[in-house]
Amino acid sequence: MSGDVMVPAGTLVGWPLWRRQLAGVLRLELRKTLLSSRSLMLYALAAMPVLLGGMHLLATPFMPEGMASNLGRHARIFTGMYSTFILRFVIFLTCLWMFMNLFRGELIDRSLHYYLLTPIRRWLLVTGKFLAAWVSASVMLSSSTVLALLLMVLPAGPRELADFFINGPGVGQVVAYVVTTVLACLGYGALFLAIGLLTKNPIIPGVIIWGWESINYFLPATLKKISVIHYLQALAPMPPQDGPFVILVEPVSPWIAVPGLLIVTAALLVLATWRAQRLEIVYGTD
Amino acid sequence: MAVYEQGYRGYDGPLMPDCSRFLVIPRYAYKSVFASRVFVGFLVLCYLWPLGLGAFIYGLHNLARISPVPITFDPTEQIVIDGDFFLWTVMFPQGIIAGFLLALHIGPALISSDLTNNALPLYLARPINRAEYVIGKISVLAILLSLITWIPALLLFTEQAYYAGWDWLVQNMRLAGALFVGLWIWIFVLSLLSLAISALVRWKVLARAALFGVFIIPGAFGETINVLFGTVWGSLLDIGGLIARVWEGLLGLDFDTTPIPLWAAWASLLTLCGVCLLILRRKLQPYEVVR
Repeated sequence: MSGDVMVPAGTLVGWPLWRRQLAGVLRLELRKTLLSSRSLMLYALAAMPVLLGGMHLLATPFMPEGMASNLGRHARIFTGMYSTFILRFVIFLTCLWMFMNLFRGELIDRSLHYYLLTPIRRWLLVTGKFLAAWVSASVMLSSSTVLALLLMVLPAGPRELADFFINGPGVGQVVAYVVTTVLACLGYGALFLAIGLLTKNPIIPGVIIWGWESINYFLPATLKKISVIHYLQALAPMPPQDGPFVILVEPVSPWIAVPGLLIVTAALLVLATWRAQRLEIVYGTD
Repeated sequence: MAVYEQGYRGYDGPLMPDCSRFLVIPRYAYKSVFASRVFVGFLVLCYLWPLGLGAFIYGLHNLARISPVPITFDPTEQIVIDGDFFLWTVMFPQGIIAGFLLALHIGPALISSDLTNNALPLYLARPINRAEYVIGKISVLAILLSLITWIPALLLFTEQAYYAGWDWLVQNMRLAGALFVGLWIWIFVLSLLSLAISALVRWKVLARAALFGVFIIPGAFGETINVLFGTVWGSLLDIGGLIARVWEGLLGLDFDTTPIPLWAAWASLLTLCGVCLLILRRKLQPYEVVR
């Protein structure tokens, strides 16, 4: 008698099956992260930079003469807004909410067992959920960033804008902001996915991480490296921070920042998968 | 006993006095709160900073006695213990940081679990009304927050008054009142905000996230408005900034934390409390009509 398992003809096994399962999880999760009532909070967060850009645009007629057409000033203001508001608050909180809910939200809704009862490997489930949330967060936040940038520079007028985007650094800046946003979603997303799986109360670690990221400017060079924001700063066109307590260090090269973020993300995903393999549901405690 | 024999019977046991009946709620709530070792550890950690400050005040007044080398100067002339000292070393760390973390841990679970499990009628079927229910839930937070905010603050004030003498006490009596009133206002705001979010977002994990977001996002948004438009009114959205402004007013300090008028800070905090009370009034219904 042979030890081989008999597989009916036409049944997918191995990579083709995993690809199909991953696509299934992705489809389901994309719908959940983009269309559920819980994503309203994410849309509200993503709308904030656009709202600020819109307010800036509406304030154009009240600006002193010469200020409205000063595109360099508008771009500088947006750079400040991106580094202090969008990156540290909007992207951070969107990722916290979205990735924390990937498993914790299912536990609250008491629907995780539907996934766990299907014949799908846990690593595929984690990967599928992570990819869906990453794509959703990246699309949502990149669109918000680009839209906010456009609204901020619009008061400069068509000639200045054409010069900025065709001959100037406009396109490069847009690409830099989008890449930074996408990588921020990747880094923070993996971190909060792991925390959401490892702890029952992911908000407290989230608050501590937020505090750590906020004081990054004041940390010594060695400690700065243990943060996501330090690597993101190397990618976005951000102004150097100044102040009496700020510790200035040499910025990280993008050639180190990007692979570094990818390696940390991979390590966190491995940790999340390891935790998901041992996941047991106790709905009563939530 | 057959089921039909277990008809409804009203409670005929001893009743607590009307004025202290709401304290039944914290009594039961603390059983679950103190079951968490993480929380107990956090509460102990909250006392390390005031203990350190107590040691600092002691050292400041007794340096000549405890120092192994002769001291040629008076340290109390170098470091003045005044309103600024209490604002930056007691009210901010104990009130805003430790107080907020405590509220974040305890607050969102207070009402959400009652609403999620339809347990509100079980409370209101007893001799307790909605107002007492809310006061009881607020007191869960208020008692714990008192333990880490105004009580250590007043103990430090008393220690300083003991060492500095009668003259200092008479000159700085206002500080004691400001510490007590200021921190109680913060406790009230924080408790109401936590309860309102707990009633709105019925899952405690999400309610915690919402409370964190409500606390930091409007402040950052307001600060960005300030920078974009060269105004100060964006600070009205910063809850931490508003209470800091009120504290400065109570302590009689120069205003330098938040650049808005004092009346505007008071008005914003009152509006916030009013909105929270409206949410609680709307959400805490003893019954729900499902169509």
